[in-house]
Amino acid sequence: MSMEHELDERTKELIANADAVEAARPEEPSLPVGEWLKKNLFSSIGSTILTIVFSLIAVFAYRGVLNFVFSEERTWDAVRVNMRALFTFAYPSSQYIRVWFVVGMACVLAGLSLGLMRSIGQGFSLKRISMWFMGWGSFIIAGILLREPSVLKDDGEVVLDDDLQVVRESFGDAMVDRGWWWFGGLLLLGIGLGLWFGLGDKRRRNTFVPAIPFGLAVIGVLISSVWWYNWGHYGTNADGLVIEPGRTVASTTQGPWTVLWFVLVIAYVVGLRLKDTERAGTFRAIVNLSWLLSPFIAYFVVLRDPDLDWDHVWSTDLPMAIGFIVLGGLMLFFLTRPGIGEIGRVIATAVLAFALFNWVAAFFGWYPMLQKARISFLLLGLFGLLAHNFAGDMRQRMRLVYGWAGLMVVLHYLITMINTAETHEAPDAFAGGFVITIFIALFTMIFAFPLGVLLALGRTSQMPIFRILSTIYIEVVRGVPFITILFFFTVFLDFFLPDGMHLAGLAAAGIGFVLFSAAYLAENVRGGLQAIRRGQYEASDAVGLTTVQRTGFIVLPQALRVSIPPLVGMVIATFKETSLLSIVGFFDFLRIANAAIPGQTEFLGVKREGLLFVSLIYFIGAYAMSKYSQRLEKQLGVGER
Amino acid sequence: MTDTAESSLVAAATERPPFYRDATVVKWLVQVVTLAVVLFALVFLASEAGDNLEAKDINTGFDFLSIDPGINVGDGIDTDPDTGGRALWVGMVNTIRLSVAGIFVATILGVVIGVARLSNNWIAAKVASVFIEYMRNIPLLVHILLFFTVLGTLGNFGRDTEPILDAAGNPLLDENGDALVEITQGPINGWIHVSNKGLSLPRVHIADGFYQWMIFILIGFFIGRYVMKQRQAQQDATGAETYPILSLLGVMAVFGIIGWFLHPIFGWVGDAIFDPIARAIPNVPEQVVQVLLSVLALGAAALWIKRFLDSRRTPAGLAKLTDDDWFRMIFAGVSAVIAAIFFLVVWPGLSSWIINSSRDFFEVAADKFGDGRGNWREDWPIDAARPDIEKRGNFANPGPAGLNFSQGFAAVFFGVVLYTAAFVAEIVRGGILAVPKGQTEAAQAVGLKRATMLRRVILPQAFRVSLPPLGNQYLNLTKNTSLAIAVGYSDIVQVGSTIFNQTGRSLEVFGIWMLFYLACSLTISAVVNFFNVRLKIVER
Repeated sequence: MSMEHELDERTKELIANADAVEAARPEEPSLPVGEWLKKNLFSSIGSTILTIVFSLIAVFAYRGVLNFVFSEERTWDAVRVNMRALFTFAYPSSQYIRVWFVVGMACVLAGLSLGLMRSIGQGFSLKRISMWFMGWGSFIIAGILLREPSVLKDDGEVVLDDDLQVVRESFGDAMVDRGWWWFGGLLLLGIGLGLWFGLGDKRRRNTFVPAIPFGLAVIGVLISSVWWYNWGHYGTNADGLVIEPGRTVASTTQGPWTVLWFVLVIAYVVGLRLKDTERAGTFRAIVNLSWLLSPFIAYFVVLRDPDLDWDHVWSTDLPMAIGFIVLGGLMLFFLTRPGIGEIGRVIATAVLAFALFNWVAAFFGWYPMLQKARISFLLLGLFGLLAHNFAGDMRQRMRLVYGWAGLMVVLHYLITMINTAETHEAPDAFAGGFVITIFIALFTMIFAFPLGVLLALGRTSQMPIFRILSTIYIEVVRGVPFITILFFFTVFLDFFLPDGMHLAGLAAAGIGFVLFSAAYLAENVRGGLQAIRRGQYEASDAVGLTTVQRTGFIVLPQALRVSIPPLVGMVIATFKETSLLSIVGFFDFLRIANAAIPGQTEFLGVKREGLLFVSLIYFIGAYAMSKYSQRLEKQLGVGER
Repeated sequence: MTDTAESSLVAAATERPPFYRDATVVKWLVQVVTLAVVLFALVFLASEAGDNLEAKDINTGFDFLSIDPGINVGDGIDTDPDTGGRALWVGMVNTIRLSVAGIFVATILGVVIGVARLSNNWIAAKVASVFIEYMRNIPLLVHILLFFTVLGTLGNFGRDTEPILDAAGNPLLDENGDALVEITQGPINGWIHVSNKGLSLPRVHIADGFYQWMIFILIGFFIGRYVMKQRQAQQDATGAETYPILSLLGVMAVFGIIGWFLHPIFGWVGDAIFDPIARAIPNVPEQVVQVLLSVLALGAAALWIKRFLDSRRTPAGLAKLTDDDWFRMIFAGVSAVIAAIFFLVVWPGLSSWIINSSRDFFEVAADKFGDGRGNWREDWPIDAARPDIEKRGNFANPGPAGLNFSQGFAAVFFGVVLYTAAFVAEIVRGGILAVPKGQTEAAQAVGLKRATMLRRVILPQAFRVSLPPLGNQYLNLTKNTSLAIAVGYSDIVQVGSTIFNQTGRSLEVFGIWMLFYLACSLTISAVVNFFNVRLKIVER
């Protein structure tokens, strides 16, 4: 599905250029209504015919959707009752505070990022906002008029006439019944018209409202609705799921959502404050790093509640971590001594060789060692090789050491938390619903990114063996459908592993996602690499940079900047691709809607409602991201080259 | 600068650095080590797989391709295949069918939507963009499952039936004594069935008179081509619009219409031409064919070498030939000799195979042309059959007369087509907007009409820009059909996974999948590249 992986770099460029061309068109002067209609709908006979045809298509499609959604045959309860299952699968409700904590974490980070961000564009003009209000108001009112009248019910039973057809109320009654819809639609329309005519002056209409506060306000209005509208009901008892009409989502979630909204707003305000301080760059880096770590902390630490073996922690884990931090730090400090010469390189190579030997030995069971020690040695070797780039004064040298210490703390903490006894016994027993969709998407992007960059560098490299290996890998992966790769990792992978080695289901699927996305990502990054002019390479050679320095400080920063919009496209693609988890046996929310809900006795065979809900969630996520990437493109000026 | 300093500089420049600082050595060392690590990992994993499979007592090998797989295939050319290879072949045919039909429909739909998206008409542009955003922001799998579910909620197949009455008003009975029924469900008096068994449409098929009719079309084509060239020359000379391609199509259409009624006059072609050829071919001795093939190979090589030498010749005489040129010529000659030896000695059976298959070919042709010698009222070139119904009653199924889309096929087909159409529409829009504005202005300046401008100036250039991305979309469409497994439609992935569940030959099946999809990718790339190169040449 392959899916928007489907958009290769060339396609994206084409579409981005088209967007840019359209965006660059001067805004049309606002015409009187009559002239606007004449110009845009009835300019010629052909255009009039088109207008009629497409109006009919639009009206029938809209009417069909409305009649489907509001039909008396729909059991939207299937979605409302299962809302919790759709999002968190079988997560125990007594532990639900953890889920709220994770959402809260995300809100804090989101608020801080939004506050710290350099502003995106100008925001929305009042004119546009009032047009939105008018548009949505008219849309709702059109819906009220188009929807067919509801059926008559007697004691909950549908009334049938002599021909066994349902009896519907009269048009007039239907219009009266939809009082609240009238109220809502007219309210929106009124606000829109009020804004438009209240600001009669054209200049005031073009005042800009910043996008983020406006968005926060809209979210606030949506969240406030749980206090006054009964969105749904659910409940559980010992037998499982029951419908409890009395307990609404609103009555159990209005508190958390409201608090979270305030958290979001406060974090945003704090972020705004921090943005104006001198150290805004540091804060930005910290927040970005937290984003990188948050999926792992949220999933493995907060949600899983790891059952630590404290004896082992005190006797092995902690000393080992401290040892790596201190001894490794000392070694790196030594290696960064100016003028250390060949000895540094020899030591680093020796450490690297030792680490590689350990990895090979691991497969044959020769040299038992904790996995995190193997990883740490490998990283130590790589850091050692980079050390001469940090040779210099004290501050310069300590930067590498601090980086090493931070990396070790995070790595050892996470591995200790992940690698507990319960991981081996019941891997991912709780994993399901929207949670794994999000987790796999983030996991994939975090790990596929470095791998994809490496592959892209390999494919554009001057060294033939690297180039051939990368090319073969990229082309083979891009040549086969994703589902076969996912099958390979979830079904066949166990054959390839040595005895006693086993990858838990979700980990195997996650690796499949990473390896697949990396190939596509590499092509996007390669597009960026090719956009770099020759002069950049020649200049960096002229000032005597090494290959590593040239790549790290000159080439990649420019290449990645160009590739940002396609990379956002990759995020969307990965997000959509997580739907394939449902084919290989995971209970993501698509599978729950497609297979689990129709199996419940209350909702036997109810599928369409759930699938539509899943579509809606995917649509909101993907659409928001694609709009964001369009704004980003405009800001970066891609397509205006 | 002193002499010593200078000489030490010179020494430093000429002296080779130690090997671990020599950039070339280090680069190659790193590469070779990487290659060794990759190869080691692959060999290690493969040997682990071998050991594990042996330990778990799982057989390996491709013998499952030739034994009964013990499975039924839901859809396709053979629902009860007798070998595993046949079952996989059925799956491949299903995938290819889906892809080819999908590419065709998605392109047309996508172009229409893409142009609508750019239309000056406000509502057309809005409807098109709502469609595009809806399709591309939701995963294809969700679309497919939704279509599948919606199709499943349609009415039962053959639900509304009426007994067929004879002239006296009594119901007709079939051989079992059941009443024959006619389906009244579906629009246009049963010519289309829409039900939870999928779609059943009239099948348009080649009827008896088709091949004789094709002779007419062929004659029409040659005459039409002559007319087209004449008119093209006239247009080039005078500049007046003479519609050369339209006239070609017109001539062919005229011949087609005449042939529709007159095609029986070619009824003799099968007996008089193809049948004697088919009988004469087995009399050709095998040696003649072998020698002919060898001579062809050697002659082709000789011709190539001659042309190559000609191309290297300067007006003054023979040019100097590089080593590379000599190598090429020797390579051509040697391969021709090898081919000749191959035909004569290594595989003599090839010639008898050629003889047999050409005889078969002409026999089939004689057979095809032999049919339909009756009158034109009965032997139409093309006919359509109304969908029929099998096993009447509660478990009715669409019969073989109609063109049936099973529920799974319809779900995957519509899902893939609509999804890809959204992307194609975006590409078409991008292509059109990529045409520089000056082109439009220039076209307006020379006074072209809007339609002519679109047809002659904008669309050709837009097509050139959008062709490579379109090729990518076709690849994606082909790969996306693998999602059929989610709705149980028997494409190659679904059949393959059923087989490996049955036989445990997972790695072999995986290999077949990869080869199949790589072959599809290469085919599509080759076709797209062919057009791409042609367009590039025009560009100069």
